[in-house]
Amino acid sequence: MDVIVSRSGGLAGTRLTWEVRVDEQPDPDEWYILIDEIPWGEPPPVPPEPDRFVYRIRCEPHEATLAERQLTGPWRQLVDRVQETTDPKRLGAPESRPPRPTR
Amino acid sequence: MQQIVPPYLLDRIAQAAAPRFPIAAEAARRALLREPPARLGIEPLPGLPSVLPDAPSAPDRRISDAEGREKLPGRLVRREGERATGDEAVDDAYDGLGDTHRMFERVFGRDSIDGAGMPLEATVHFGDKYDNAFWDGERMVFGDGDGEIFRGFTDSLSVIGHELAHGVTEHTAKLRYQGQSGALNEHVSDAFGALVEQYALGQDAEAASWLIGEGIFTDEVQGRALRSMIEPGTAYDDDVLGRDPQPGHLRDYIETDDDNGGVHLNSGIPNRAFALAATELGGFAWEHVGRIWYDVLTSGRLSPDEDFAGFAAETVRSARERFGPESREELAVMHGWSAVGIEVPPAG
Repeated sequence: MDVIVSRSGGLAGTRLTWEVRVDEQPDPDEWYILIDEIPWGEPPPVPPEPDRFVYRIRCEPHEATLAERQLTGPWRQLVDRVQETTDPKRLGAPESRPPRPTR
Repeated sequence: MQQIVPPYLLDRIAQAAAPRFPIAAEAARRALLREPPARLGIEPLPGLPSVLPDAPSAPDRRISDAEGREKLPGRLVRREGERATGDEAVDDAYDGLGDTHRMFERVFGRDSIDGAGMPLEATVHFGDKYDNAFWDGERMVFGDGDGEIFRGFTDSLSVIGHELAHGVTEHTAKLRYQGQSGALNEHVSDAFGALVEQYALGQDAEAASWLIGEGIFTDEVQGRALRSMIEPGTAYDDDVLGRDPQPGHLRDYIETDDDNGGVHLNSGIPNRAFALAATELGGFAWEHVGRIWYDVLTSGRLSPDEDFAGFAAETVRSARERFGPESREELAVMHGWSAVGIEVPPAG
């Protein structure tokens, strides 16, 4: 299982991505427990704050997008752990998606 | 009353010349105070100068130190009128907020973020090697940077002006921080951040760099700044950081889920329209495009979900209202938008 954290936004608008292969870690069970604790789909609501970072956390089949201020409790623990485990990759270009029909 | 010495110079002389040139400093202070500001409540008429008579600016600054933690507000270390602390981040934030307050007050007659003298609060030394600066709804927050790519975020006056302008937008047009309205929110902050720097330096539109965050990168980075308003996509091109991804034309609009829908990317499109209109007009940008954009921001006619086309139409309308139909200003603004792929239909 992979955990992918990407951080976008910020004043500079650059993107960093951290990727961890859980099964290659010395303590995969602890990772699984932590991932289980995450309330996927219900991050605490906050209004967006200009220039703050936005975090996207992917961990099949889960995916969540959080404002920096929403990174609390188990979310914060997971992101801290990912950032301690691996160095980020810096990707200048944004991850694009197909345009929405309305715009 | 016309003054030959521009207000920013008088102010600098009044503040900085005192120890060596006490007479000059006193003269500058008197010149600054001579004319009572005739500002609030008067609807400026087209044809009249849009810059207000000079007036001293009286900010109420409060700088706090987060001491490397991610906790706000931190310890209050410098209040209005207190001497420099010797901590560069604290003193740069204090001076930068002063410059920003002065531009909003003297050029637009706006006293602080809310227009009613609210304290300007900032926190510096936020977090450990924190690579960002932001507006949290109440205060401006500045990290020290990691030292490898980013220096401290108080090193750039345009960045300080950018953050304060987020507060002004929140108190006026309330542009929603997502997608096109979010990119406009970002654009407004870049526009006023650039104007603050130009006003403080006394630069006209041709002399201005139109860069946001010049001096934010370390010498290791191949780049001049975070963004270029006049040539989006050219601010940096670096092995580690990659290439500046900002588009400068609507056809290159980036659809993404990152960054609240690419607010820091797509802001390049209106940024370029603004800078092109300013350079077409020449002279001091705060006297024409700055005035027009400020009118739009405070008109009450923008929707929180405004898109690029709606915002562009409002800038043309405001240019016409302030400077007259088919004025140079109206045409320059239309040309600016047209160059980035946004055609504003003629008035009718």
